[in-house]
Amino acid sequence: MRLAAHLTGWLPGLQSAADRRFKTWVRRRQGLDARTTTLGSGRVYILPTGVGFVFGSMAFAMLLGAMNYNNNLSFGLTFLLAGLGLVSMHSCQRNLVGLEIAFAGVEPVFAGDVARFRIALNNGSRNGRYQLRLEGDDGLSEPVDLNPGESRVVSLPVTTTARGYVRLPRFAIRTRYPFELFHAWAWLHMDLEGLVYPALAANPPQPPASVAALGHRQHDARGEEDFAGLRSFHRGDSPRTVAWKAYARTGQLLSKRFAGADTSSQWFDFDSLAAFDTEQRLGILARWVVDADRRGEDYGLRLPGATFPPAHGGAQRIDCLEALALFGQEGARG
Amino acid sequence: MARPRGTDGSLLSSLPWTLAALAVAALPHLPYLPLWVTAASVGCALWRLAVERRRRPLPSIWSRSVLALGAFLGILFTYETISGVGPGSALLAVMAALKLLETRRRRDQFVLLFIAIFLTMAALLREQHLWSLPYMLLSLVVTMAAWLQMAAPPGQPARHSVGTAARFLGYAAPLAIVMWVFFPRIATPFWAVPIDTSSGTTGLSDTMSPGDITSLSQSDAVAFRVRFDGEAPAPRDRYWRAIVLHRFNGRTWTGSEPAPDYTFRERVEYIGEPVDYEVTLEPTRSQWLMALDLPESWDLPKAAMSRTQSLWRIQPVDQRIRYRVRSYPEFRADVDLPEYNRSWYLRLPDGRNPKALRFAQELRDRSRSDRDYVNAVLGTFRSEPFYYTLQPPALGSNPVDRFLFDTRRGFCEHYASAFAVLMRAAGIPSRVVLGYQGGETNPLGDYMIVRQADAHAWTEIWLEGEGWRRVDPTAAVAPERIDDGRSAAMFDGTAEAWGLAAPSALLYRLTLTWDAMNARWNEFVLGYGPENQDRFMRWLGLNNPDWRNLMLTLVGAIAALTLVIHALLILRFRPPREDRARRLYERFVRKTSLQPARGETPLGFAARAADRGADPAEIYSITVLYLDARYGDGGEPAMDKLRAAVRRFRPRVA
Repeated sequence: MRLAAHLTGWLPGLQSAADRRFKTWVRRRQGLDARTTTLGSGRVYILPTGVGFVFGSMAFAMLLGAMNYNNNLSFGLTFLLAGLGLVSMHSCQRNLVGLEIAFAGVEPVFAGDVARFRIALNNGSRNGRYQLRLEGDDGLSEPVDLNPGESRVVSLPVTTTARGYVRLPRFAIRTRYPFELFHAWAWLHMDLEGLVYPALAANPPQPPASVAALGHRQHDARGEEDFAGLRSFHRGDSPRTVAWKAYARTGQLLSKRFAGADTSSQWFDFDSLAAFDTEQRLGILARWVVDADRRGEDYGLRLPGATFPPAHGGAQRIDCLEALALFGQEGARG
Repeated sequence: MARPRGTDGSLLSSLPWTLAALAVAALPHLPYLPLWVTAASVGCALWRLAVERRRRPLPSIWSRSVLALGAFLGILFTYETISGVGPGSALLAVMAALKLLETRRRRDQFVLLFIAIFLTMAALLREQHLWSLPYMLLSLVVTMAAWLQMAAPPGQPARHSVGTAARFLGYAAPLAIVMWVFFPRIATPFWAVPIDTSSGTTGLSDTMSPGDITSLSQSDAVAFRVRFDGEAPAPRDRYWRAIVLHRFNGRTWTGSEPAPDYTFRERVEYIGEPVDYEVTLEPTRSQWLMALDLPESWDLPKAAMSRTQSLWRIQPVDQRIRYRVRSYPEFRADVDLPEYNRSWYLRLPDGRNPKALRFAQELRDRSRSDRDYVNAVLGTFRSEPFYYTLQPPALGSNPVDRFLFDTRRGFCEHYASAFAVLMRAAGIPSRVVLGYQGGETNPLGDYMIVRQADAHAWTEIWLEGEGWRRVDPTAAVAPERIDDGRSAAMFDGTAEAWGLAAPSALLYRLTLTWDAMNARWNEFVLGYGPENQDRFMRWLGLNNPDWRNLMLTLVGAIAALTLVIHALLILRFRPPREDRARRLYERFVRKTSLQPARGETPLGFAARAADRGADPAEIYSITVLYLDARYGDGGEPAMDKLRAAVRRFRPRVA
């Protein structure tokens, strides 16, 4: 009993240590992967599963039975099963070899939320690939099937804890197809990272009062929806503001501008929140930015070392939140 | 920690397939399974399916435990053992039924599918007919399809799983055949477990009570098949000897347990030309082997000659076996029979069959010699109104008396028994031999079939200076039975007693064809044992086929085949046709030595390339061919045209 307890206490530790060493070895062996990687046969690993072991033991028992009775049809059955095992090993490996795996982006999230790394699986072959699962640090994704020539995007969730970058240094693609007798997998090291904004403060203090606008915008009291012309599309503009009709006509992406969205702008200042520590300040500023953006107001952000003049819209929001996310961390990137 | 018992309908796509796999696997067991096992299994399956449909909970662990215990005791009570194929397969069926009651998750079905495979194996252990191979393949396809259904995405048609399972089996088949051919066969089993204890003995019985049997069943089942090296002996010499009976209690003849006689070559003098042949014996579940009167040498391991000149083997014949024998139709056996042995063959029970004894003594007194006496007895059989019939009346407590002086109707056993008794009563040692007589040549297979209906009994008498001599009293009554075989022997007008007495020509031919197929199947597939393997390996050119060489060959062959399968898989995963067109087009683009701009369409590129002075018509036609091959429905012809055009394309250097 003591031995058993000893072993059970020991084994998981041993296993995870072996697992770690294996992963390190694989990383050294394969190096850094490109953002679009086609799996070669040298990097697809394969091992029998539990079911596979049972299947093998059963085939062995059947072989003994067939030998004992010199029963040739039983030999046939046993060898068919053995052949099936061999074939299933090879097709399990082939199910992954040649698969193209590409990083398809990740949306920024607020700290504490789940970042979803989008991984595109591209089957550029004539044969379907079945029951592919991605595995990140937070477990396995649902299995996907890829028809010949089909591509699919699978998102790999990673729970974030702190602002800055969330990293996905390594993920795996796994399959047990066809008969779950074998388990083939490949590790990918794309060193993916996604932006994590500061967690929004739950109970922020009131934002500072607006000050009069500086007059670089048209003052108009006729309300938010007044169309004030087109300008070329900037990254971060909301799709709602895109002039789709104009796009259909000219093929140029243009954003509509509206006059009189607000008549005032406000400054969110890092230094004005002296009562809080840095992370709290960032959370409060992020909350103000998000709220102001939701209201469509102009706002500016002042951080030590960075100033964003008042503006509104998606680009302003992204710029500000990114600055908050990476505040004091620029050197840590990489 | 109780597992949740509710069902959620998630098994609806795979459970029917799992049940189908179990049903197919269990099908050949049905005639052997006790009715309650079949009923319980079918009941459990239907009930489980209904539970899944209505999303009802499964039974609790307590009720399941009680059921399991009850089922186990039921098996024990029915069979009184749990070893052997009969109880084993019943146990498997019950286990599957019980496992169904706790199958909640998809993966629980693995156990059921493993049981299905074991049931299939058990069916093959029990019976190996021609249809056993298709049965095995069908069972495997359904089982593996169910296997795939477990993980198949919802909504995927089941035929996809069936197709995939069949395809994988197709890949596995060559591997299986290679393993089957090269895996070394060994002659002796590791342990002896009865294959089936539930079915009775077929073929010859090892006792004979002529008066008790009132109707001899004429089974067309094959007893054994024979292939002669040369000419087959004449029908009158085809006496297939098996069991010798020498003890008579007035009603029943019995023999001794087999014992080896290592001195038989001193006791038997073989005369004349030998006959060499090969016997394929169907399972008899007895130790006795069939051989033409009288065997001299044989190639079966652990087989010996008995003290009564019959062949036997230590291991009962549970499976079809094949052996070669050399026999001498002419022989002299036990010329020097010791006195105490002689008395052994003269013993008759006191006070039984008194009329027969008196008759024998009177007849012996009137005869000048033993030989005369034998002829006189045979003459009696011939001249008195004795009849050969397969449906004789019952004979009571003094069967020989009643048969000789009263009913006078019987078949070979009656005549053999009566004759042997008459011999003993006159002081001539005698014994009864059971075996087969005759056989029917199958012209389609160049071999001879001996059926259960050819079973026969005759006598041997010991004469001073001559040893044991075969005397067949049946031949005195019904010589056709001996000379022409049973098809010509129609006695007593009871044609139906002969079964296939007067088959139509077509039916007869079909029967023979079917038998020839079975014989081939038996010979090449079921009979592929150590000897056949050795022969086949030598034919293949493998000169020293011991198990080590066989294993090496096997590993090499598997490696080679695996490479082929690997290559096949790579071929299956090659890029689709569109990309072949793309590759050809890229070759064309390289030949133009122009860089396509980002986002430039093929036609745009063609316009630019044409501007640069190369042959515009050719460039446009290649571009159109490419578009047709890749995006249009031009198919292979378009691809071929594109390939030719790209190959021809030689841009002039501007």
